[in-house]
Amino acid sequence: MGKILIVDDTLFMRTLIKNILFTGGHSIAGEAGDGEEAIAKYKELKPDLVTMDVVMPKMNGIEALKGIIAIDPAAKIIMCTAVGQEQMVKLAIKSGAKGYIVKPFQAPKVLEEVKNVLAT
Amino acid sequence: MTEVPVKIEFNKEWIVTKLNVSEDRMVIPAPINKEILFKSVLDVSEKKNILIITVKTDTEVVYKILSVEKVLQFLKVRILPLCNAYRLMAYFMSPAIRGGVMIKEAVWEKGSVVVVKSGIWFVGAVKQISVPITEVAAIELTKRDVQGKPTEVIRIDYLDSGEVVSSLVLCPISTLQVLYNFLKETTKSMDMKGTELDGIDLQVAMLVYSGMDSHATENMLNLPHKQLDQIYDKILALGLAEVVIIRREIQLTPKGVRYITDASKTQTN
Repeated sequence: MGKILIVDDTLFMRTLIKNILFTGGHSIAGEAGDGEEAIAKYKELKPDLVTMDVVMPKMNGIEALKGIIAIDPAAKIIMCTAVGQEQMVKLAIKSGAKGYIVKPFQAPKVLEEVKNVLAT
Repeated sequence: MTEVPVKIEFNKEWIVTKLNVSEDRMVIPAPINKEILFKSVLDVSEKKNILIITVKTDTEVVYKILSVEKVLQFLKVRILPLCNAYRLMAYFMSPAIRGGVMIKEAVWEKGSVVVVKSGIWFVGAVKQISVPITEVAAIELTKRDVQGKPTEVIRIDYLDSGEVVSSLVLCPISTLQVLYNFLKETTKSMDMKGTELDGIDLQVAMLVYSGMDSHATENMLNLPHKQLDQIYDKILALGLAEVVIIRREIQLTPKGVRYITDASKTQTN
């Protein structure tokens, strides 16, 4: 079980991911609504894993991913994006993402991906 | 001729027999005594370890063939390239996404896409995947990074054992458009305006998609039970969901209150 930072600009998605993670026995380290806040929260909270939305205001998820990897190259980050933006996968993986989920998603598969990434 | 052991449903009974399979036909021995030309097969579907084929002779006859995976695979590889279907050579990736999670080890496989009456088949040398039309949720032309270039592909979303699975098809753009139009036509009955659900209804539907139950949905969206019930009714009436379980809330009668009170006394004494 891990301590997870949820990054998404919508409260609805953060709440949904939080609920899914709770049912999997994980704890929530914190939440962030944009990329800049994500980097700041990562430094402060040192979570075991981050779920990162791609399209966000101020700083997008790919930039935030790069920012976090620059601080901690071993950071475990799962990117989370909408259907139709899957072409971002290659860029995200190249930038250091360990996993990728596409919205809308199903809880058991998200928990499986979180478990896999935490085990790496 | 290759002989393969199977069970075939005949007169509502399963007959143990051996099929004689050649390049373009198979022969079912007595008591069925039937030669089936693969080009006369109108439909092929699969349910667990049963291959169901519909053959057109004078009338349409359905054969259910039960066997081990290896035998069924052999039959599929023989029947699907010759059966009466819309067929095209393509690359496919199936599954590419399962439950919203990208499958990292997914690769493009060379093979064909075969569209029959009841479904879509991805036919490769190693695997043959069947997607029943009734389970198809969406068909979309989208772009994927293929060998470093954004390339148009068809994404087919479908339900497989309750999980939402996405598969991708890649072929020359002109063929892709024909296949896309064909599949769109086949699933036309599911087309909707997209404005049937408003903000809160959509959020509820998305939570259902993610597997949240009514209790979790009420808590997450801070919805009174009655309002959630009305939204469920709306989603059900649109045919977007089905009832799988009805939960009940109960209240104790005086007899029940007395029972629990007595039980508590016993426990505390």
